[in-house]
Amino acid sequence: MVTFKLNGKQVQGEDGQYIIHVAEKYGVEIPTLCHHKALEPAGMCRICTVELFDGRRTKFVTACNYPIWEGMEVKTDTDAVHQGRKLIVEMLYARCPEVPLLQKLAKQYKIKAPRFKKEDDTCILCGLCVRMCEKMGNAAISFAGRGTEMRIDTPFGIQSDVCMACGACASVCPTGHITLAKIKEEFTKTHPSLIPSEYEMGLQGRKPVYVPYAQAVPNTPAIDRSVCMHFKTGGCKVCAEVCQMDAIDHMMKDEVVDIDAGAVVLSPGFEPFDPSKFDNYGYASHPNVMTAMEFERILSASGPTGGHLTRMSDHKEPKKVAWFQCVGSRDQNRCDNKYCSSVCCMYALKEAVIAKEHAGDDLECAIFYMDMRTHGKDFERYYNRAKDQGIRFERSRVHTVVPQDVTGDLKITYTNEAGKNINETFDMIVLSVGLEISPEIIDMAKKLGIELTDGNFAKTSSFAPVETNRKGVFVAGAFQGPKDIPQSVVDSSAAAGEAGAMLATVRNTLTRVPEEIPETNIVGERPRIGVFVCKCGTNIAGVVNVPEVRDYAADLPYVEYCSDNLYSCSQDTQETMTQIIKANKLNRIVVAACTPKTHEPLFQETLINAGLNKYLFEMTNIRNHASWVHKDAPELATQKAKDLVRMAVSKVALMEPLDEAELQVKPVAMVIGGGISGMVSAKNLAEQGYEVHLIEKDKVLGGQANNLYQTFQDENIAQKLGSLIKDVQENDRVNIHMETTLENVDGFVGNFTSELKKDESSTTLAHGVAVIATGAHGYTPDEYCYGKDDRVITSLDLDKKFMEKDTVLPSLQTAVFIQCVGSREPERPYCSRVCCTHSIDNALELKTLNPDMNVFILYRDIRTYGEREYKYQQAREAGVIFIRYSVDQKPMVEVSDTKLLITVTDHVLGVPVQIDADLLTLATAIVPNKDEKLANFFKVPLNEDGFFVERHAKLGPSEFATDGVFLCGLAHYPKPIDEAIAHGQAAASRAVTLLAKETVHTSGNVAKIDPMKCSACGVCVSICPYSAPAFETQGRFEGKAGINPVLCKGCGLCVASCRSGAIHLKGFDTNQILAQIFALNEEAV
Amino acid sequence: MTENNIKIVAFLCNWCSYGAADLAGVSRMQYPADVRAIRIPCTGRLSPKFILSALREGCDAVWVSG
Amino acid sequence: MMGNLLEHMGIDRDRIHFSWISSAEATKFVDVVREISEKVRALGPNKKFVKDYTK
Repeated sequence: MVTFKLNGKQVQGEDGQYIIHVAEKYGVEIPTLCHHKALEPAGMCRICTVELFDGRRTKFVTACNYPIWEGMEVKTDTDAVHQGRKLIVEMLYARCPEVPLLQKLAKQYKIKAPRFKKEDDTCILCGLCVRMCEKMGNAAISFAGRGTEMRIDTPFGIQSDVCMACGACASVCPTGHITLAKIKEEFTKTHPSLIPSEYEMGLQGRKPVYVPYAQAVPNTPAIDRSVCMHFKTGGCKVCAEVCQMDAIDHMMKDEVVDIDAGAVVLSPGFEPFDPSKFDNYGYASHPNVMTAMEFERILSASGPTGGHLTRMSDHKEPKKVAWFQCVGSRDQNRCDNKYCSSVCCMYALKEAVIAKEHAGDDLECAIFYMDMRTHGKDFERYYNRAKDQGIRFERSRVHTVVPQDVTGDLKITYTNEAGKNINETFDMIVLSVGLEISPEIIDMAKKLGIELTDGNFAKTSSFAPVETNRKGVFVAGAFQGPKDIPQSVVDSSAAAGEAGAMLATVRNTLTRVPEEIPETNIVGERPRIGVFVCKCGTNIAGVVNVPEVRDYAADLPYVEYCSDNLYSCSQDTQETMTQIIKANKLNRIVVAACTPKTHEPLFQETLINAGLNKYLFEMTNIRNHASWVHKDAPELATQKAKDLVRMAVSKVALMEPLDEAELQVKPVAMVIGGGISGMVSAKNLAEQGYEVHLIEKDKVLGGQANNLYQTFQDENIAQKLGSLIKDVQENDRVNIHMETTLENVDGFVGNFTSELKKDESSTTLAHGVAVIATGAHGYTPDEYCYGKDDRVITSLDLDKKFMEKDTVLPSLQTAVFIQCVGSREPERPYCSRVCCTHSIDNALELKTLNPDMNVFILYRDIRTYGEREYKYQQAREAGVIFIRYSVDQKPMVEVSDTKLLITVTDHVLGVPVQIDADLLTLATAIVPNKDEKLANFFKVPLNEDGFFVERHAKLGPSEFATDGVFLCGLAHYPKPIDEAIAHGQAAASRAVTLLAKETVHTSGNVAKIDPMKCSACGVCVSICPYSAPAFETQGRFEGKAGINPVLCKGCGLCVASCRSGAIHLKGFDTNQILAQIFALNEEAV
Repeated sequence: MTENNIKIVAFLCNWCSYGAADLAGVSRMQYPADVRAIRIPCTGRLSPKFILSALREGCDAVWVSG
Repeated sequence: MMGNLLEHMGIDRDRIHFSWISSAEATKFVDVVREISEKVRALGPNKKFVKDYTK
């Protein structure tokens, strides 16, 4: 250890260190232009000159390369030092007057104009680049020339073979003398390019040492060996030198790890289709033609443009954007992907809507499509809304894109619906690329012996949608077939459930107990509030002035810490928050972000990790209640956000730590509905080791599946259904209650008590969880002469005829199908999802029975998503005639004695076509049961159409917001058999996550009676809907009321009704709500 | 407070109206920025004291929604 | 009852509003906000019974 004086103060440094290191450690600033901590010092720029007193005399030395010694005295702040530095800056400024860095320094040293002759150089000869190049193990550049001729150059000034264009020199150049462009022009023969960032879809570069994206798990950097200089030259290792934790090991090798597993789930996902092979779109050659994935990044607040919609060529805000659908999907001429990618219509709609949101309403959006496939839950509504918002839909496949060189605009040519050729110019084109399985995954599948479909997806049967051909190997997500998020989430739960059933006997044999973080006792402490204001990308920050709200919050009483986050809910932010809470000893937390209904538990988890009781928390909603709903009034929204934060802060200050009661979970499940998804759910629960009660109101099991003939994969439904019913009936753990209805439900998660009624007699059933699988039914049409003539039937009627092998069918001459009967109508604005495939399947079946039969399908959009598309192709090849009708010109049906006369106006020809048919099949809607009674029993919501509303449209499709209640099958939304089965398995799987825990914790937000104040009037006892309060029968407070915290729902009814003011509702106590009210008025705080 | 800047306090039930308010946000419906929501577990929690206090604090109106 | 009390205190009946909205009725929520906001704007700011912080 070396001790010396720095500006008169005693300081210490290690032997061998230079002055600049020690100064940095003690926070003494010494300017430098040529110093880099990864490189050996050179003392080139001399701006770091300091005054040194060696005991006898004073001299000037450069701090960056002067080693420290015992007893020396250094001054960094004297007049002489400043004069010296000023002179150096003045000379450098004269040499490089255009360099911003020197302009800034000159200003700092109050130099208006240098006294020396101005030159036009940009290099200050600091030598950083030369030293860095050497460090990289390369030495492609060096100082050349002498004296005033000195410059940085390659040997003989010619482009070098040695330079590998790593860009290290440019990265350290302080003046901008060396740039990537200059390296390319002057230094190297290698072609330099940015390392494309995978996360930013190549729109931005990244470093060889990188974290793939901000929320990556684990959130640690990785070294890309294919571009890291160390792995090319053996040099560099700068990262290892600067890493203070010594965490970097360049010698690390790939490891092969063996894992003993009883089951494997394959969820390798998809790759977006690469459209560069289509030269007619000009994707490879024109920056303003981008893929939808790239466009997602442009719209993202964390993306390369910060969510600002600009195009790549000139950063201009586009005025007109076009989307091309089915790029790399439904196409066997230019690529091999015959299937529909299922998700692109919806994401294009979403991108167009969001683009308008970002860029303003005058942005023109046009979507060029073949069929608009919005078959998901609430998707049709979104489509209708997009139309209302002025998004243009052109049913056409664009054939040519011609870039306009000067402007960067793109001229396209297409044929519109009327058959006219149209030229139109757009600023930007987005290609809605399809989903594809990558070659590596196909290889993996081969290695594992997994059978694939024509589209290279894992082959599964409709009755075992997540099982591959290899036993114990399951599949989930897009590898099973192109699908969207909710369907992938269903799949993954289903795969976990099926694997869980296989491994049920060894459950909990490999578990480890997590470390429990002790709770800090904060009782009696003064509140120290931390406020975190979330930007939610641009969702909040785009409207509300987040920094202003943050700074405002900092001045509120008891607030000790305040910050804003880009995404408060991201994993990395959670960790930072934990550290901040600990470091600042915060004891109350406010998060101003989105809705507590979805995100409160997440932040409470963070509090627990920071050792705080999770009730010392208040969340306020400045997204759903401010930024999203006051888009046009940013100032008012900001004011509102401030008010909400102020109210939350004043409430949280009064929050107290609360306890939660622990409850046993009854290991019994009740499944309501004995249809296909209900039975599958019951079967899986039983296989996972739990007792199941299956309730069916009818005399038979099987539900709607009893009415269906075959799946789109030509599997006979009756056969498979029979074996499923047998499995369920023979399983000892499944108790089947036929012709039974549910009369009442009491209790809560883990401890429900239901009243079942059969033949006038009632029984009660105690169960821990419930699965709602009550299904839906077919729409009974009153249009198209249904009911007036036997030859007008529904799809289900036709299935029945197939099942009965009706002899009339082969003799028919003409059969017609009408699609969307009762679906996509104002009173039922949703798509029934299954009908297109169903009708096409049946049309093909008719063609098989009689190849000469004329079969027509009258449709609005054909929605054969995924690999169902093959059926559509087959049908066209088999000669089924598809005629599209528009919703305002529906087909007309007349009944005559001999024939059915159907008139439809063909959209392309524009003239009415008359078909004389023998059979008309109506593809009728799937109508929900709208079971309000059941919804009330479990306090679960129904949507406007009457389908149950799941916990989260994307991430929670198989459960309800109400704990312990799960959802599957048609009760959720129309779906084909394979999806209904996966959903049944998923609901069971989600239920097991609860059953397997064995205990649950009740909320701490319960009422508590202060017995000293209680007058034993009994109002609370009589008023409580959950029978939580009761008179104490023994002890000191006998006769007074007490509340059972397990039964208490925390509604607060008793609190408001208590005339003695004896009841407190923890978390929503009178003083806490009053605090919010008092904080309403800004002046009051 | 001016004519253009009124303040309404809303006591919203966590399970019903608060959910509706969230959904209004998700659907990006636009409405006047006068309302300040206080989340309560149930409208049964409400006591007249709260309404009076709110008015006393200068609120221009009180809205209770279950 | 609450309404009567407020009226007794000289506070307009329109300053207090009760409604029942389910969590799926976002449209109704927005309609009610608009309605109340309009009514209250028509009434002007509440001057009765307000605590005076200037005192």
